[in-house]
Amino acid sequence: MTKTYEEINQKIRKGKAVVVTAEEIIDIVKEKGAKRAAQEVDVVTTGTFGPMCSSGALLNTGHTKPKMNYKKAWLNGVSAYCGIAAVDLYLGATAIPDDDPANKVHPGRFSYGGGHVIEDLVAGKDILFEATSYGTDCYPRREISTLINIKDLNSATLLNPRNAYQNYNVAINANSKKPIYTYMGILRPNMNNANYCSAGQLSPLLNDPHYRTIGIGTRIFLGGGVGYVVYYGTQHDPEVKRTDNGVPTGGAGTIALMGDMKKMNPAFLRGASMTGYGASIAVGIGIPIPILDEEMVRATAISDADILAPVVDYSEDYPEFKGKPLAQVSYAQLRSGKISVKGKEIRTAALSSLPKAREIAQKLKKWIQQGKFLITRPVETLPDVGSGVTMNPLKERPVKKPALKRHFRL
Amino acid sequence: MVKKSVLLHFGASLVDKPIITGLIRDYDVSVNILHARVTPEEAGTMFVHIEGVKDKVSKALDYLNQIGVRLVFPRKNLIWQEAKCTHCGSCVGQCFPDALLIDNKTGLVHFKHELCVACGLCIPACPFGALESVDQHVATSQK
Repeated sequence: MTKTYEEINQKIRKGKAVVVTAEEIIDIVKEKGAKRAAQEVDVVTTGTFGPMCSSGALLNTGHTKPKMNYKKAWLNGVSAYCGIAAVDLYLGATAIPDDDPANKVHPGRFSYGGGHVIEDLVAGKDILFEATSYGTDCYPRREISTLINIKDLNSATLLNPRNAYQNYNVAINANSKKPIYTYMGILRPNMNNANYCSAGQLSPLLNDPHYRTIGIGTRIFLGGGVGYVVYYGTQHDPEVKRTDNGVPTGGAGTIALMGDMKKMNPAFLRGASMTGYGASIAVGIGIPIPILDEEMVRATAISDADILAPVVDYSEDYPEFKGKPLAQVSYAQLRSGKISVKGKEIRTAALSSLPKAREIAQKLKKWIQQGKFLITRPVETLPDVGSGVTMNPLKERPVKKPALKRHFRL
Repeated sequence: MVKKSVLLHFGASLVDKPIITGLIRDYDVSVNILHARVTPEEAGTMFVHIEGVKDKVSKALDYLNQIGVRLVFPRKNLIWQEAKCTHCGSCVGQCFPDALLIDNKTGLVHFKHELCVACGLCIPACPFGALESVDQHVATSQK
């Protein structure tokens, strides 16, 4: 038996859709079997909440009087990108203030960066906006310093080039005698701890491994508001090795997302400080998966025990772009608090919040049950295995005089 | 006899009042000031041990609450601000005495303060600044 997107939406509109979370579906399929579950359940909701560096805000401040074409700009001291039109700006989540000491005193704290500005904007706080320009005939003004508030901006759009990684590395420090400070958190020497970052059985793309329903145009929960999948994310790599159930055994698919920040909630967009690494933002994402047929319900019934992640050394292998994973472990093992690598028992910790992921899946479930949120058929599906889209390293073609030296005439 | 470790925050309106004097005179408790920073007309923070008969100590704390002093109870030298916590569990991997733990059922982080050795390893591991030492807390709350 199959269902169409329109049939499911009809049920949602009437308030009669059966919606469960990606955790709840596991037992339903176990008890009733895939056939009956596919008949009874219409939508499965997923959720994830973790640091996602490839995120940012696209802002339009409205024109100044006299008019100005921003060339350099700062929000609460954090610089934003101005290489676009006059009063458009892009504030990246990992941007830090020009005077931040960064890692000069190692490990740096990175207590306030782009992610924190985004959280403050969404919380409705006033933000100090400063900009400079060289001035033109049509845009004569050269500087501005003012308070701004999200409610007065023409638009504030979250625009995240790469979010919701389909699976990810488990990071350990296998070779350094000192703690190392990474985007995967603090890794103690002698493989004393292992950090992972995925919602596992609740994670959106792990519940739709071959991107059948999550594609360009899919309406989603984003940062507490509504957003959309706008494209496949940067570094999208469907070619990563998969298990028999189609689930990738390492970081694979990614999605690019957009949504109206004015309707978001700071509880689901939190500025993050990764000690010794930099600033970032934790983003809350929830994606509904329509149960079109038995194949879809089987995919969503995936559990932590069936999802494998590679254990990667971040002291040498990752930075030097060499070596192989030291082990494969399941999310069930990671969630138990301990994994075993090379005969050593290692304590595990997540950077991605399970309670928040659950909260998001439940919220999205409620929206759909109440008929407030309809599902979408993708305008175009994401590139899958065999599409030619994959992730390659940079092939360097060195030049005698490095570009940097030429630029500064050194 | 009981002893309570309390961090007191006074707003600007309370800075010129003899609060500690009132505490000692009217509630018959001993107050050991471990750290204090009080700026006239601005605000004050004080880390104290209040010791005395159980009933009197609780009355003393009620009095502080009533007059508008904000009370924070740090555990050992660590403050876990649950409101800032996303329950990701980054801290848990750093906590070798297992004072910070994840409840397997709910996935929520729990802090068993009696197991904390105040090593501070968890503090820089929290991306959301939810863990602070008392010193850090005093310094940042002055801003």
